[in-house]
Amino acid sequence: MNPILLQFTFIIGLLEAAPMVLAAVGFTLIYRLNGFVNVAYSENLTIGAYTGVVLNTMLGLGFYVAIIPAVLVSGLFSVATYLLVFRPAMRRGVNKTELIIMSVGLSFLIRYGLTMVFGVLPYPFTHDRTFIRFLNIGITDLQIVCLILAALVSIFYLMFMFRTNYGEKMRALSDNEQLAKTSGINPLRVTIMIWFMAGVAGGFAGVFLGVFSIVVPWLGWYEILFIMMITIIGGIGSVPGAIVAGLATSILRSGVTLMSDSYAGAVTLLVLFIVALKYQAVRKGGIKT
Amino acid sequence: MISFLTSGFFASMLSFLAIYVALTVILHLQANVAGVVNFGIAGFWGIGMYATSIFLLRFNINFWISIVLGAIVTGLIALPLARILLNLDGQAVLVGTLAFASIVENQIFVNREITGGSRGLGTIPMPIDVGPYRFIVYGLVVVAFVVALILYAWKLKKAPFGRLLFSIRDNELLSRSLGKPTFRHKIIFFAITCGLIGLFGGLTAPLHSFLLPMMVSPTVTFTAWIALMLGGQSKISGAVIGVLATEFVFFYLLRVILPLPAEAAQMVPFFIYAAYGLMLVLVLMFKPTGIMGGKRRGN
Repeated sequence: MNPILLQFTFIIGLLEAAPMVLAAVGFTLIYRLNGFVNVAYSENLTIGAYTGVVLNTMLGLGFYVAIIPAVLVSGLFSVATYLLVFRPAMRRGVNKTELIIMSVGLSFLIRYGLTMVFGVLPYPFTHDRTFIRFLNIGITDLQIVCLILAALVSIFYLMFMFRTNYGEKMRALSDNEQLAKTSGINPLRVTIMIWFMAGVAGGFAGVFLGVFSIVVPWLGWYEILFIMMITIIGGIGSVPGAIVAGLATSILRSGVTLMSDSYAGAVTLLVLFIVALKYQAVRKGGIKT
Repeated sequence: MISFLTSGFFASMLSFLAIYVALTVILHLQANVAGVVNFGIAGFWGIGMYATSIFLLRFNINFWISIVLGAIVTGLIALPLARILLNLDGQAVLVGTLAFASIVENQIFVNREITGGSRGLGTIPMPIDVGPYRFIVYGLVVVAFVVALILYAWKLKKAPFGRLLFSIRDNELLSRSLGKPTFRHKIIFFAITCGLIGLFGGLTAPLHSFLLPMMVSPTVTFTAWIALMLGGQSKISGAVIGVLATEFVFFYLLRVILPLPAEAAQMVPFFIYAAYGLMLVLVLMFKPTGIMGGKRRGN
């Protein structure tokens, strides 16, 4: 592989990793806590992106200012899905597989509801970009700022998980709910907190995805498989794993895309994804033949 | 009345309803009898549809032989996938099959020389050419296939092989300790049922007459799942009722009976999918056994 291509791969991959890492962190938090694949998480990205773009283009807020309400709305949406759908379902004893099917239904409801409100036409963010030439690649200042923001948010989430009281409570709750309850942890409060944080991370990812291209109703849905793949490769439920795997797979994806046509990239990664599923099952010892 | 019954509209409605009933019944067999959560129906269905059309158009093979070949191809593709996935837990199977379906959609899009890519593949003629009645005659043939499938499903649940599958679903360890090669049976059953999905994919090809990659979208998968969940996942009748309740009521009655202005009519498909989603959530929340009821099984 020639060095220029390698350079391109790394830079493009790194810049594209910003939204994917954040989305994977949010996704993995929910899995860690509640133990099911929440497909409706994709709609957090979409809702974040739409909130951002509406504030940006219709109310004329600057892009960086619009991020804040966008991620808050996405976080609240995430909490709402938990309180209105998943919590009652879990209390009614709906099993894990049915919860996933339910989350697919919820995702349909939100996605097509948004389509009815906003239509299928794309909404672009209005934001002036300065193009910078960096190591022979044209990149924008926006991409760099997003990358830095993503790094800061990721570090914050890591600190939260491993350095704060809440993070400790959350890990306790996901490992052993009974024990956590007897130690005086309020499970509802911690769970709401986690769903909110996951939604906020998803909102960031959605806004970044939207500003890098356009905002459409299926923005989150198109990425959800890739997000699941990242979290599974990184060890589902692990926040540091999600961050590392997000960076690695984004760089790999850009490499494969640069070397062949863009669709081969998606296929390679999906194959890798099935391999990762298999590998983790073997490592867990949960495999039965 | 006779002219309506022989019209292309009625024939197409009947055929598509029958195809969805078939997919949902097969899904019931996989999910409820064998305990495999298949979220890649669209993928297998698409392979069958495209393989049949390719045999028919590119190799000039007779339509009915093409359908059988298409089903065999689908089954052979499902076999290694089953070997890789089926010994993982339910969530992994779900995600893995979903990923498989998206690979299929991608590959149909990319391999333009074979599948026609986004330019499409066509035209697939109606296989039984009996003048103006060709649509309804073909529709009745599709219905006959579906009736045969339902009879097979009904027999299977009473046959020793069906009982074996139930026992694997309920307690695989116990079943294995009784000397049954459980994993092999699961793989073979999955491959056969996926082959059947491919067969019905092949039967769909003349109905579309012109194939596009976007037809192989996950929507097909979810439509079948929603129908099954709504109708009742543990009964064959549930699959039939579920399809009638979703496809028929939403797609046909809503469009035929309600006179909508043009702008609102554009919104109807979105409204339908949003309503599907809402229904799925509500059914699982309040009546997880569906309309037809029956016992519920936990994982």
